Amino acid sequence: MAEKKPTGTVLVAGAGISGIKAAIELAEGGYKVLLTDASTQIGGILAKLDYQFPTDHCGMCRMLPMVGREYGSQYCMRKSLFHENIEILPFTEITSVQGDGGNYKVELLKKARLVDPAVCNEMGECIDVCPVEVPDEFNHGLTKRKAIYQAIPHNTPKMLLIDREACTKCGECVKVCTTNAINLDAQDEVETREVHSIVLASGVKLYNTREFEDAKSYAVSPDVVTSLAFERMMSSSGTYEGGVIKRPSDGKPAKNIAWIQCMGSRNRRQKRDYCSSICCMFALKEAVLAKEKGGPEVDTTIFYMDMRTFGKGFQQYRDKAVDEHGVKLIRCRVQGVMLKPDGSLEMRYFDPETNEFFVKDYDLVVMSTGQIPFETHKKWADLLNAPLDERGLLATEQYSKIKIAGKPGLFICGSLMGLTDVSEAMSSGIAAAGEATNFLTTLGVDILKEEEIAEPTAHERENSLVSVALCKCGEKVGADGIDYELLSAELLRYRGVGEVNVIDSICKAEGETTTNDILGKTKCNRLLVGACQPFMYRRKLKNVARKAGFNSSMVEIFDLFGIARRGMVEPSVGDWTLRAAREVKSDIERLKYKPALHVSTLPINQTALVVGGGIGGMQAALSLATRGVPVHLVEKEAHLGGYLGNQVEHTIDGLAPVAMASDMKLKVFENKNITVHLNCEVEKTVGTLGSFESKLHFKDTNENTYLHHGAVIMVTGGHEGATTEYGYGTSDKVLTQAELKKGMASGNIDAGGLENVVMIQCVGSRQKEGRHYCSRICCMWAIANALKIKEVNPEARVFILYRDVMTYGFFEQYYTKARTAGIIFMNYSLENKPQVEMVEGNPVVKFMDTVLNTEIELPADMLVLSTGVDPEESNQRLADAFGVTLTEDRFLAEADSKWRPIEFQKVGLYLAGTAHSPMPLKSVIMQAEAAAQKAYTYLSGREVHTAGVISKVKDALCIRCQRCINICPYGARSYDEVEKCIVVDPAECQACGACAVECQNNAAEVTGWSDKQLMAAIDAKLMDDLLMSTAE
Amino acid sequence: MDLQQGSIKDLWKAIYNTGDLHHCFNCSTCLSGCPASHGDPPLLVRNLARKVILGLEEELLNDDTPWACVSCSKCEEMCPMDVKPFEMILAIRQWQSANDETRVPPSIVEIYKRGYTQAVGVNTDLRDKLGLPELKTITNNPEQLQFFREMLMKTPVVSANDYMFGG
Amino acid sequence: MELCLFLGCNTPAIRPDVERAIRATMPVLGIDLVDSDNYVCCPAFGAFPSTDIDSWLATSGWNLSIAEEKGCDFVVQCGSCYSSLRMGREHMMHHADKMARVNELLEPTGRTVTGKSKVRHVSEVLYKEIGPETIAGQVKKSLKGLHGIVQYPCHTLFPSEVVGFEESARAPKGMRQLVEALGATVDSYSRELQCCGGAGGFMKSTPEQAIEFAKTKFDAILDETKADFIAVSCITCLMHMENVQNTLNKRVGEERYKIPVFDYNQLLALCLGFDPKQVASICNVSRDSVLSRI
Repeated sequence: MAEKKPTGTVLVAGAGISGIKAAIELAEGGYKVLLTDASTQIGGILAKLDYQFPTDHCGMCRMLPMVGREYGSQYCMRKSLFHENIEILPFTEITSVQGDGGNYKVELLKKARLVDPAVCNEMGECIDVCPVEVPDEFNHGLTKRKAIYQAIPHNTPKMLLIDREACTKCGECVKVCTTNAINLDAQDEVETREVHSIVLASGVKLYNTREFEDAKSYAVSPDVVTSLAFERMMSSSGTYEGGVIKRPSDGKPAKNIAWIQCMGSRNRRQKRDYCSSICCMFALKEAVLAKEKGGPEVDTTIFYMDMRTFGKGFQQYRDKAVDEHGVKLIRCRVQGVMLKPDGSLEMRYFDPETNEFFVKDYDLVVMSTGQIPFETHKKWADLLNAPLDERGLLATEQYSKIKIAGKPGLFICGSLMGLTDVSEAMSSGIAAAGEATNFLTTLGVDILKEEEIAEPTAHERENSLVSVALCKCGEKVGADGIDYELLSAELLRYRGVGEVNVIDSICKAEGETTTNDILGKTKCNRLLVGACQPFMYRRKLKNVARKAGFNSSMVEIFDLFGIARRGMVEPSVGDWTLRAAREVKSDIERLKYKPALHVSTLPINQTALVVGGGIGGMQAALSLATRGVPVHLVEKEAHLGGYLGNQVEHTIDGLAPVAMASDMKLKVFENKNITVHLNCEVEKTVGTLGSFESKLHFKDTNENTYLHHGAVIMVTGGHEGATTEYGYGTSDKVLTQAELKKGMASGNIDAGGLENVVMIQCVGSRQKEGRHYCSRICCMWAIANALKIKEVNPEARVFILYRDVMTYGFFEQYYTKARTAGIIFMNYSLENKPQVEMVEGNPVVKFMDTVLNTEIELPADMLVLSTGVDPEESNQRLADAFGVTLTEDRFLAEADSKWRPIEFQKVGLYLAGTAHSPMPLKSVIMQAEAAAQKAYTYLSGREVHTAGVISKVKDALCIRCQRCINICPYGARSYDEVEKCIVVDPAECQACGACAVECQNNAAEVTGWSDKQLMAAIDAKLMDDLLMSTAE
Repeated sequence: MDLQQGSIKDLWKAIYNTGDLHHCFNCSTCLSGCPASHGDPPLLVRNLARKVILGLEEELLNDDTPWACVSCSKCEEMCPMDVKPFEMILAIRQWQSANDETRVPPSIVEIYKRGYTQAVGVNTDLRDKLGLPELKTITNNPEQLQFFREMLMKTPVVSANDYMFGG
Repeated sequence: MELCLFLGCNTPAIRPDVERAIRATMPVLGIDLVDSDNYVCCPAFGAFPSTDIDSWLATSGWNLSIAEEKGCDFVVQCGSCYSSLRMGREHMMHHADKMARVNELLEPTGRTVTGKSKVRHVSEVLYKEIGPETIAGQVKKSLKGLHGIVQYPCHTLFPSEVVGFEESARAPKGMRQLVEALGATVDSYSRELQCCGGAGGFMKSTPEQAIEFAKTKFDAILDETKADFIAVSCITCLMHMENVQNTLNKRVGEERYKIPVFDYNQLLALCLGFDPKQVASICNVSRDSVLSRI
């Protein structure tokens, strides 16, 4: 017999969103995950945020798996995360890591919560009696909490704990606790675990205004808050319960709010020469929301140095904030805040647009605080014995943002890479899971395989008879809030209830056995279980039911724990039990009329199609192929490599794309799993989830080939934008950045003879007419070229005319380096663009210097234009072929700009790199890796389970108006031209119910949510209320 | 303004040749809390930095605002780029003094003459009344004063303008 | 502890009562003062520091050599003197070539400088060396019942790495604690850290705007505090904050601005029981309202 291989286990250290995403991806791939967090809870920064731009909603749940959703736990992510393969360990620190390359021993310090969540009944009387009050860190000290407390107000379960530093051990909480959940003497526990790989997702330390000297000029009042505290002031679970934003000091509505950017960041003097990347968008979003909450009379001003709207959709959001919401942006860093006796906050600033000083009073000042990365990186480097780079950050492999240099099996993601927005956190989490999976597949460890249990068909057509099982929940619920005997007797009286059983702990092994016994013997055909936290073990319970021959849709769970808890404060348990019984009746009615739902299984074609043979495409193809997935790699040009891989020798951060691409090409052609198709485009694709047929058209030979595949990754890249502005095309002295780069590399352009060089940024970009986006890389390109010129010819004067220098994150250091080298940066505005006149073939640049407020004229030996990045024109044809959409800017539109950046609404379709939006090479590679991982997890499932609960068409009622097709956000509905009817793709449908609402004829219905069921449930509810009122 | 004609590329080297100057990215921190920025014309520190970087010689020579600085050095403390603006202001004044004799502050002549910008230690009656000791000033010590003057005469601006010092 | 007293020019020439106060209080608090014979201008920022580095540093070096010869540190009251000397010394300490050049210039005068003597502000000595608690213990006449506001000398705050001694230059505490040690209540107000505006060429070049700038500070003091007096720790602040009040009164045509201004050493001397006629007799804004209540 073969030796049993161990199950691949990964430690994910840090349970913010990137860690959670990595954990979910790994868990979905069948690996065991230990997800730890040093704080008392999971969710990281995002637990505090109700809103993210651009939707200004939450949407965190969108990071949960979309396929087979009935098997996963679909639940509000800000409340909790449940996954069978993930062991969540909050309040746990990693104290040592031993071993290497796939065999790590990790010592965990599990801090004592002093409250056992398994026993706690969450009644909270302990909180009421606790005499100790301390500032609540979740609300940034804006509110108070007790020493025994719930760390996150919206957490479920509540997960109470005791703050050991604040607790006086008075014992009051112990006295009122009826379940003995509190042990004031509990000790921290040390546990050693073995894992095969480690993903670091701890995030970095954030700038703390109490800790740093440079904040003291601003933090002069409680009304000066950090941007995260401001989130809590806006949150519905925060200080003002989602209402009007007020001044913390006196509760007056905040009418004038100012944001100060770069608090703690972009500060060479304080040795923090980096940008924190996310604060500009954070401030814009907060300013928009403050306006929305407080009405148009709320005045919002952002004081900034460069408004760094570099990501996808950022520039549009900025323009909307300014044009539609009236958010004011002032390019001035203020020196400090003065507190006046009435609590108002005075600031003096210089407005470069009017060249005047202003003194204004504000009610609230928000400090946009950023990252303090070095401490965190040092800590991890010491623990892992990993190297730090020259910046003091964990060194990663040359082309990777994820792989820790020289440490196979160790990866980072999320804000350890520098503060990341949600989208990048998601991509990096998936990519880290991908790299970990790549690594684990080489180790020979096993994955957890789900036990396949077929959905039984018995009992379906019988009359409904419900068996009710009531869980006593061990000691937790006790008999305090509910009279089980009375409840059983009452429920038995209802029509349709065949039996009522009381089970001790349904979630434990004994409970499972008891449930099995009951189901084995019963003559009933439906099961209603009353227990706690239904979402936690729905999946397990449904499996138990299936084994016993029940269709899993015939099993429902209701929250008996909640009912019992409410009963504990009622004067009479007996009266409450009778009332509770009537609540349960509504659940019984709904279950009675529920049809048996069947999950269908579709096989997945195990082949992947990668569209785009640039570096990103090759990366995705190689990642899949080395894991054994056959890949078709399609490239419209005659050679692989794409724009970067053929045109760009060096990037500013020391990468060599051309060399890298030629290395990759070799690997691609050598790999037996990859079939390369050059000179062709995907013209049309038919088929559905898991099984596509794509028609490849070869433009040279005019031939077609048909490929069959189960997944597709679109990595179409982009190219330098075109322009006719600024005299381009009229003189060889006006050229683009790429032309300059190439010219200098080939020796055709000699920088030695240059005296004055002018570069203009954002040519045709970041404006409504043209590229309405930042191309993200042009500032770095311009700086790289300018530095090169200075290197060859230190005497040359190089001027870079910019609107905002977009050197986000650690790219800031190149901006600093450029200024050190004497490169002169001058700001211009969109309203006052530079003018170029050609005098005898030489460009003369005229522009307004916004500092000196004078018109400047400069004959340039060379004028270099940063014309941005255009998406591939073929994107439109590709989008049409696969039925996906493009953004206004002709990039591919992902499923969700924040939470699902590399997926489409359609399952099995992924995107990466510049097809998504312009981005630096390392980000392209990261996204490609993430897309490969998504495709791999999907393909390795071998088959896709459609959900039981999906939308159906009642054909007889349907008038073919097709409104449901238009409303469906998942593209699951289509019109069958042959059969002349509406069809639903069962795999694409996510049962959101939009079609059912839209349909005027009740022809669209979500199974399991029929009108009949709902009406019966409502009737039961109303009857109950009616009885109550007549009784009174 | 024509930068080709109206600017001297390496002027900054003559004025403020430190590694700090070029780091200025015009964030205006220096402006918002500067006392002399209330003046008319205002002292606009970041504009001075820009003029030096661009090499606007004539504009700089004619600029009086560096002399309005109160020397509080708050800009120095607050500048996120560590440009050391106060040192830059002194450097501009030094450059102006070296290139334009009318810029040479009269106070240095006073100092040359008696060691101080004003008469010190001559209020003997008042000092007596307050119970203060006699001050041993350099003004009253010809030998030391001569040493002091000879020393100063070896420094650039004093020696270049020796006629001002009765030399 | 022995310290070399660097008086500058304004204090001995115009406000010798401040000098008297320092000479009176320091020995009581255990500091022995020695005089800086033949000292010269600090030099003022508007003088040699505005012409060339050589003359600035040579003049600083001349002065520092005096303290070095006495084998002790300088104690300075004037903010400009303090800052200029300290920056000068800093330059020399960080640039060996400058130090060498200064010694080359000093050589014929028979002087040398090594940087061994430090430059300390009188408020630093009081705050850090002696401490508010010790001072409170010595108080014979308390300022109890009086409200004051404090004016931090910018030159003792910025740039903090060169001249600073406070834990935070942006939220200093020293002056407040020193005045509180004398029994007074120190009121806060919005413009507490705003510069008096008296130093440099601001007043000279644009007096209208400089007065207007100072007015915002005084209006804030009047509107926001119950100040009976202003405690300063720099001779320029002392003189300027008195003069401005008189100018402002002429402008508004009434005696609206009449808050007495004291150098901290004067308040300290008064509280240690010294004669107001000797230690606080020279002023442009009457101090009677305060002196009568001590």
